[in-house]
Amino acid sequence: MSEAETTVEDDPNAPVRFMQQVISLDYVVRTSPMNRYFGRKLRDRQIVGHKCPSCGIVYVPPRGFCPICVVETSEADEVEISDKGIVTSWTVLTPIHYHGQTEREDYALASILLEGADGTIGQQRLVDVELDQIRMGMRVEAVWAEESDTERGGDVRGFGFGNAIAGFRATEGPDAPPEAYEKHTL
Amino acid sequence: MRPVSIVSFAQSGGRVDVEETETQMLYPVVSEAIERSGIPRQEIGFTCSGSADYLAGAPFAFVGNLEATGAWPPISESHVEMDGAWALYEAWVRLQHGDVDVALVFSSGISSRGNLREVLCLQNDPYYLMPLWADHVSLAALQARAYLDASGAKESDLAEVASRSRRNALSNPNALLSGEQGPDELLAEPYVVSPLRASDCPPVTDGAAAAILVAGDRAREVCDRPAWIRGIDHRIDPHYIGVRDLSRSESARVAAQHAGVGDAPVEVAELAAAFSHEELILREALGLGDEVEINPSGGALVSNPMMVSGLTRIGEAFRQINENGRHRAVGHAASGPCLQQNLVCVLEGD
Repeated sequence: MSEAETTVEDDPNAPVRFMQQVISLDYVVRTSPMNRYFGRKLRDRQIVGHKCPSCGIVYVPPRGFCPICVVETSEADEVEISDKGIVTSWTVLTPIHYHGQTEREDYALASILLEGADGTIGQQRLVDVELDQIRMGMRVEAVWAEESDTERGGDVRGFGFGNAIAGFRATEGPDAPPEAYEKHTL
Repeated sequence: MRPVSIVSFAQSGGRVDVEETETQMLYPVVSEAIERSGIPRQEIGFTCSGSADYLAGAPFAFVGNLEATGAWPPISESHVEMDGAWALYEAWVRLQHGDVDVALVFSSGISSRGNLREVLCLQNDPYYLMPLWADHVSLAALQARAYLDASGAKESDLAEVASRSRRNALSNPNALLSGEQGPDELLAEPYVVSPLRASDCPPVTDGAAAAILVAGDRAREVCDRPAWIRGIDHRIDPHYIGVRDLSRSESARVAAQHAGVGDAPVEVAELAAAFSHEELILREALGLGDEVEINPSGGALVSNPMMVSGLTRIGEAFRQINENGRHRAVGHAASGPCLQQNLVCVLEGD
């Protein structure tokens, strides 16, 4: 150990170079009424969105308003969304074993453009897929969480999808053409 | 200086345990402020917001909050990790540039999702006070004790402030607390941290507010009684409270002087005094005599959404001119422990 790394624990007379300050803050995360409704639908394996009555953009999960047009949306604007879609972007993560990290193997998170939606949902786990075979335009479908998991449902995590969907797996069929995802960088 | 006025103001009102997202809470408030101004949304030349992500524990919430404004096509905007009163200050500076005439200011905070007595410890210096977890109520109590000792004021004087604030709040539907409780009744309460009782401390409050600022004569076209910003200034005391005389607020005094509070009689002042003794310290610092009505809304003592309370004080001062026919009003905002930072805004009608 070099002199610069000597700590007060090794030598009470050593100069103080660092102070460790462990901070823990607890928050009560509330799921908004809109997300609760979305979550109840997810429990029935239904994905719903709101279609803006002004511009026609479909938001999944619904926000209750269109941020482009600044108009409110409601159940009257509800549309059903497929649980199938395409990968528009992805990242392969190599887990670093920081405190609390339970992942051990490389895995992929992807942005998914569901059929019927205009925006992607981010950070969705890709399952049963070779990491070097992931492509933009790759067709995928949702793998729903087990019925026995009573906790599953939508919440503010996972882009509103919570843990209702275990991941997305590749399906048969040719990849979508670039026009299908060129407007979605994320 | 380019004359700038406030032409509209909207607020969510004091709330707690808000279930909506911060953006959903802001959406109707921002829309109401814009609609009241009668100015088309696309004519807003600058947008500035104030919030702190630590309150609700949601990183980058301030970015999502922009969705409440209609930020497409892309808008010119800025954010301060401060009370919305400082966002209003930045908007006022931006309007001085002369190339835009309309600004939107908004702020929001959902304090009830965390524990303020823990979260606000993080605003202290990281070496001496943070490791002690010196919470804002305890620090306020130190200031209250210093003030009582130096001024000769009594705890009953604090109770008078608390009692009047709750009584004033009876006519303010946006206040979280209100009631007809005399000073003696409040003095019978136990201490939270001596010498402060629960009625001397602000309630944990969620909320949002928004205002529209207009430069020049257009204000009179869109608003019957605009409130002109005749002076606005903010000053800060040293970060480490141990080097300050806590019995007074030098930064508030200097800010008031530069904003011109004493240049003409003040009819009414809305002070962001979150603790009862802070009102007494601020009255002295701003030079407000007994003839000045203080906090007709009930003030921050009855409804204190963090990051919103200061902008609300300026908004309430605006309402005194716009709705109640007053001519000269003062709005005040504070930030940090023990009135560390103070903003003073002098408003006048035509």
